Amino acid sequence: MPEGPHPHGGLDPNEADDLAAEAAAIEGRLGLARDAEQARRALLARPRFSLRLQIFLGNAIAFLVAVAVAVALVASFHRMESKTRFLEIVNDYVMQVEQARRFEKNFFLYGTNLSDAQDNVFQAEAILNRNAEELSAIMGENWRELILPNLHAYARLLERLDQRSRGDQPLSKSERIKVQSQVRAQGQQMVSSALAVLSKEKAALGEVITRSRHLLFYSMGMLLVFMIVHAYLLGTRMLSSINRFGSYAHRIASGDFTPVTPTRRYRDEFTELALAINTMIEELENREAVLVQSHKMRAVGTLTAGVAHELNNPMNNITLTAHVLQEDYPDLNDEERREMIGDVVGEAERAKKIISNLLDFARESGSQLEPLDLPLLLQETIALAGNQIKLSGIKIHYQGSGNLPRVHGDSQQLRQVFLNLILNAIDASHKGGKIQVLVLPADEPNYLAVKVIDEGTGIPAHIISSIFDPFFTTKGKGKGTGLGLSVSQGIVVKHGGRIMVSSHEGQGTTFTVVLPVTTIPANLSKKAASA
Amino acid sequence: MSENLTVLLLDDEPIVGRRLKPALAKIGCDVEVFEDPEEALARVGQKEFDVVVTDIRMDQIDGMQVLEFVRDRWPRCKVIMITGYAMMSLAREAMEKGAFDFIAKPFKPDDLRRVIAKAAKALGSSIDFETPAETADA
Repeated sequence: MPEGPHPHGGLDPNEADDLAAEAAAIEGRLGLARDAEQARRALLARPRFSLRLQIFLGNAIAFLVAVAVAVALVASFHRMESKTRFLEIVNDYVMQVEQARRFEKNFFLYGTNLSDAQDNVFQAEAILNRNAEELSAIMGENWRELILPNLHAYARLLERLDQRSRGDQPLSKSERIKVQSQVRAQGQQMVSSALAVLSKEKAALGEVITRSRHLLFYSMGMLLVFMIVHAYLLGTRMLSSINRFGSYAHRIASGDFTPVTPTRRYRDEFTELALAINTMIEELENREAVLVQSHKMRAVGTLTAGVAHELNNPMNNITLTAHVLQEDYPDLNDEERREMIGDVVGEAERAKKIISNLLDFARESGSQLEPLDLPLLLQETIALAGNQIKLSGIKIHYQGSGNLPRVHGDSQQLRQVFLNLILNAIDASHKGGKIQVLVLPADEPNYLAVKVIDEGTGIPAHIISSIFDPFFTTKGKGKGTGLGLSVSQGIVVKHGGRIMVSSHEGQGTTFTVVLPVTTIPANLSKKAASA
Repeated sequence: MSENLTVLLLDDEPIVGRRLKPALAKIGCDVEVFEDPEEALARVGQKEFDVVVTDIRMDQIDGMQVLEFVRDRWPRCKVIMITGYAMMSLAREAMEKGAFDFIAKPFKPDDLRRVIAKAAKALGSSIDFETPAETADA
């Protein structure tokens, strides 16, 4: 951070910076909590339609349909039973009546007794009377008017005939023919009406059977269709949610900690899962912040040795100058004294710069977003790693094209990313090797690319896919944490960028960081939710 | 007063040369100051110095290379190493390669003067090294 002029009587600028950083850190954390809270409210604001309810409703509907079908079938069976019963009655009646007709026929042919026929007619009426209830149930209350007059008329005719045939006035031929035809007509009508009832009822019974069969088939078919649809809806609902959560998991694993936001019109068991995942994201985010900080402290530790040694140079210049000044004070002229004091002041300033550069980097701060001059930031980072570079006897070439657009981001965090890449490049390089740091417009518009190129050992093809995994390290025990690249990736993703690697074993490695320029302000605590 | 001790001082920090040249001249050394190792090596190629004082960490050429070059060319020459990056391994390496002594920055002019006096004694030409007190010139 550029030092402002020292305010008189105000805070020490460093203290002020610390306070601002702390405020920003708290602000950042609050922002995260706010986001999570908003997501939680949005998730819970929807009407609840749980999976359990859907399963229950589907089964309940299927059960109700089955019950309705069963009830309808029972009713049909009942109707069939009564119709069969009725058919039996009518059948008995028809048999009696037909028997009567046969006796009547015998009477006219052979002159046999008519009492049998009368007996049958009486039996027929008895059958009807016995089953009066069933008959009224089926044919209505007026069944008597429909059947009995006919029967009675026939019976009366038979009686008259019987009396006349047994009596002293036998029928004349013409009379006999007349009566015979009357009897026949009545008899035929009686039989045919009974048969008509019989066939009507048979047809009705057939219809009831067909109807209940159709009812059974159609309702089973409907039930099947309903169950298929229900299973499909339930399945897609569950599977789509599961797939969605799978994609969330991938997204979170790649370092995107945007809270899960509602995608459907109702809430259910998956809403609880979403809430749990949001809690997990918050927790992960906090831990990542700790991880970033602890990784930074590690880098600081690495740099401290270099910085401490680097400090020896200005310290030495001050020591030598001060001693010479002390020794030779009387022999020096004003100009020499002034020059020496100037040297002391200048070297003290240099020492201060060396330290403040490291302290700036080490200071714990929240996400402070500002438009950044990437080339300047890279040069500062190279200066920060300068001592390490000197120690390892490696040359570093910086190349930046002028007037690049600014990127929006957290200078500390980005410095940490580039420092990590540079330190990795130093570790991978051989003594006397060369590292190139380039900043240039990326291939896609509105993006800048920073490349860190080394000519070192390179990364074997079989591990290149896992170098961004946390805790993956190729360095020896106690040397690397395996967090550098995963932390860097997290930071770059938060800035809306990407980090890529290409490497040829034995020839070197190129890491490319692509960052959006300020026209697309990245937001470290909030992004347009794309869930 | 024997003839002056010739000293080549190589350090990429200009102030080191600026301060040490007069400080060493006081005890009778002819000092040539270099900031660029290339130039220093070229000069060593031309002339035998009694003592070479060199910084170890420099951009183009490592102080160790200077040490090897000088030891190779002028076996009599005493090489004194100074460095801000004082590490045991470096010191040991320097001693193994035949450095006369090793001084860690920050040091006082007297520290170097004492070592140079020791080197002069080893070379057989004594330097009357006394702590330059305030020469009370009445």
